[in-house]
Amino acid sequence: MFEEPYRWMEAVSTRHSYVQEKLKMGQPVLSVPFNEGVLIMGFAPQPGKIFEVYDRIALGGVGHPADVERLRMTLLDMAHLEGFNRSAQDVTLARLLQFGIAPALKQNFEEIQRAPYIIRLLLAELDGDGHPHFFRVNYDGHWETFKNGTVIAGNEKVMEEVQKKIQDTPFATFPLNKALKETCRLWDESRKQEEDDENIPKTLKEAFDQWYLEAAVLSGKVERRAIYRALTKEEIGKLKSSVG
Amino acid sequence: MSFQTDPHTSPGDFFELLEKSGYRWHARIDSSQAPSGITVTQGTTVLAFHFKDGVIVAGDRRATAGNSIMYERCDKVIPIDDYTLMAIAGVPATAFEMARVLTHNFEYYRRSQMQTMSVEGKIRALSKLLKENVGMAVQGLGAVSPIFATYDLKCKKAAIHFYDMLGADFRISTHTATGSGSPTIRGILEHEDLWGDKPLVERSESDAVTLAIRLLQTAAQFDSATGKARPEDEIFPTVALVTEAGYQFLNDKDLAKLCKSSLKRGH
Repeated sequence: MFEEPYRWMEAVSTRHSYVQEKLKMGQPVLSVPFNEGVLIMGFAPQPGKIFEVYDRIALGGVGHPADVERLRMTLLDMAHLEGFNRSAQDVTLARLLQFGIAPALKQNFEEIQRAPYIIRLLLAELDGDGHPHFFRVNYDGHWETFKNGTVIAGNEKVMEEVQKKIQDTPFATFPLNKALKETCRLWDESRKQEEDDENIPKTLKEAFDQWYLEAAVLSGKVERRAIYRALTKEEIGKLKSSVG
Repeated sequence: MSFQTDPHTSPGDFFELLEKSGYRWHARIDSSQAPSGITVTQGTTVLAFHFKDGVIVAGDRRATAGNSIMYERCDKVIPIDDYTLMAIAGVPATAFEMARVLTHNFEYYRRSQMQTMSVEGKIRALSKLLKENVGMAVQGLGAVSPIFATYDLKCKKAAIHFYDMLGADFRISTHTATGSGSPTIRGILEHEDLWGDKPLVERSESDAVTLAIRLLQTAAQFDSATGKARPEDEIFPTVALVTEAGYQFLNDKDLAKLCKSSLKRGH
């Protein structure tokens, strides 16, 4: 059936449509620089959107939780083996993506007998010199890098709109509180661009009340090896009272 | 269709992941025989005791091979995670490798399972590595006798565990010391705890640090394999604290001052 190139291309195209349709409701995850490091945040009905991958690397995911989990574990395994066999300094996002999951994702996507990964990933890193790096990875292995922060969402149109706003905002000069408020505002705007769905909170206050806000920072001020820190309930409570 | 968890795998176990990737801890044991006359680099005196705010862990800096002093700046107190330190006596190559495996093991567990490993689990992890190392230990190539100090955030309590070379662990409620210089100072620690100004567990941080520095200097006086503090060469003992805030190493600047005041005669 797939011996003819056209049928293979058609099958790949159908897979794109299938995955995009499945991803459509994925809620945005944003990551931006701030004056002390990198912030990553997102609202979700269930916790499980933002994770620590290695000492200086954080992950955000939208899509099927089982697929996000599988790729999270793959990244964890690769990063820890590399860190053990060589050094923590050799564990960089560019290497993990370029030589690790991106080729594997592409191959999986184009082998049309296999189930595709229903995911979109955001990866953020604060390197040893204090420079932030942001990457967006698609279900087909395609990845892009950004200097001033990035966003992933199920809806591509929403994603591109928010990306433009991130590019135009001087996040790197903001303190953490301001960066948090601004990302919440962008998340709120992204929600307004989406199709009406009664399951999605109508206001930021509803989002705080009904969903979970997950947020973490990679802090350049921390002297420990692992610089990832999830925001505490108190910090999120304060944010809620200031923006909700 | 049904899914079953493989009973032979342990989620979050970095050691298992390492073995799957081809790493073999005991491959070296099966094929090696210690040739007679070989001298391996060894570590020397480390100690730990409870004080008011947690646990103090300290060690000298000398590494020896037989009668030769190989190195005077060896760090024998190694951070494992934010709340855990391991002090080593024995063969540094094996001890450092154990520390590296443990560090990755605890971090991998915390990140993959999204919870910190229990203190009991951490203690067991080191026990398992020591057990895996028995072959090397009995051949005289890789004996390690570590002290493990950690802070249990759940119980709000610091813990010290001492291990024998076969992997048995012993919880220490007051003090412990290991390495060739330890016999000299174990008696002093016991004396200080029972008949000193205060029991060790009631002493302040500065009193605890002073005592640790003096104990290591005493051990160095009687044991050639324990290095003395040499302020003129900026060689100081390693001194670290494990408290509710995590571990903290004293820096050289502070140690220079503390060595000067602690080692002054008549105080």
